[in-house]
Amino acid sequence: MSERLKNYLEEIGHYLGISREKQEILTEIKSHILEKAEQEFGDITDDAVERIIDTYGNPRRVAEKYMDDSQIIAPAFKGYLLRYTMILFAFHFVLILLSAIFRVSMVVIPFFYIPKMDSFQAFFYLPMAFVFDLGLVGIILYFVTQSRKEINLPWPKLKVNWQKIMEGKQTKSKVIPLILMLMGYTALVWIYWRSGTLFFKTIDLQDPRSLLTPLASQWYSLGLLALLGIGVAAYVVRFFTASEWVDLLRSAGQLVILGILFNRPMDDPFSEFVYIDLQIIANIFIAIIAAVLAIDFLKSLIILMKNSLMKKTSMEP
Amino acid sequence: MAADISSFETEMNRGFLQVLVLAILEREMYGYSIVKKLGEKKYSLEENTLYPLLRRLEKKSLIKGKWDVSQDRPRKFYIITKEGRELRSELLKIWRRQNEILNHLIKENRNV
Repeated sequence: MSERLKNYLEEIGHYLGISREKQEILTEIKSHILEKAEQEFGDITDDAVERIIDTYGNPRRVAEKYMDDSQIIAPAFKGYLLRYTMILFAFHFVLILLSAIFRVSMVVIPFFYIPKMDSFQAFFYLPMAFVFDLGLVGIILYFVTQSRKEINLPWPKLKVNWQKIMEGKQTKSKVIPLILMLMGYTALVWIYWRSGTLFFKTIDLQDPRSLLTPLASQWYSLGLLALLGIGVAAYVVRFFTASEWVDLLRSAGQLVILGILFNRPMDDPFSEFVYIDLQIIANIFIAIIAAVLAIDFLKSLIILMKNSLMKKTSMEP
Repeated sequence: MAADISSFETEMNRGFLQVLVLAILEREMYGYSIVKKLGEKKYSLEENTLYPLLRRLEKKSLIKGKWDVSQDRPRKFYIITKEGRELRSELLKIWRRQNEILNHLIKENRNV
């Protein structure tokens, strides 16, 4: 066998990967090339083989034609790849941001491990996180494709009404509250950044004294910031969509934050002795917020179920 | 010509080639002999398209392949199966119907 034919078949074999039929495919191609060379040039010379190989085609293209049926990711799922990756990366990004701000490492079972790092390291960690998320989503979509089952992946439907946004009729009255919200939120983040708490015993700008112990300050302040942050984010998303899912997810997220705060046992969160029982007042306060959020959650859930039921009824003949 | 005809021809050939191969394999043939036979009928077929197609048809049990190693060079011979014949008959019906529709439309256009 000529060296050129050997290399050509080897290259096709390389692109065919670990196919079980690889050897058979290569034998068939080899037999074809040799026979054609003999028929068309009278003898199997290196030059004749070379000419036949040139007309047979590029090894990669030849191999690809055998793999037309075996998609790595089904074409219908390709749109999901980027969208799911972006959702995952948004989550990853927030964790990296928290890790950089509070200098802690985090493990989110089963996928994420965020090492303790400073902002400079976090900056270089972000591309790696993106590649990881892309790979993870790719692997999941690969297995979904290979299973060849009729799996319908969830596709977040954001009913963006661009016309209303462009006209600005509906949004003008919402923009001012949003600006105020963002300013207030930024101010709270700044206060926490400076003082390490959002709960003060005295309002002395020179010497602010925290009402809570350092640990309790951190937990309750971050809890409050998370609650408000989710609220602001949901308000922004509401600009783009009328979907009731936004409210449902917002109240669910806020309830989870409250749950975490409740489940954090602290013997005495207060830094100094106080005359009135602040713990009871704080608990009542948290319970009222939780009750309001739970009602909000149920309301959104009922509206969603009602909408879904109406949709089904209208689709029935 | 306004558009490159080769890509359109490739699209059209995709279905046609399957019927063609199912028609030619009424008697046992191997890859190179199929190319030669079609060449005699002035139909040029790319070998690197034929072999993957034969493999796909074989996987679907529409044709049956068998290696012959008795000669100096191993050759894989293919022949149509019962399922292949049934499919070919259905595909030809579709092809004739499509032809009728197309002819009908062309006639209609001439009268416009």
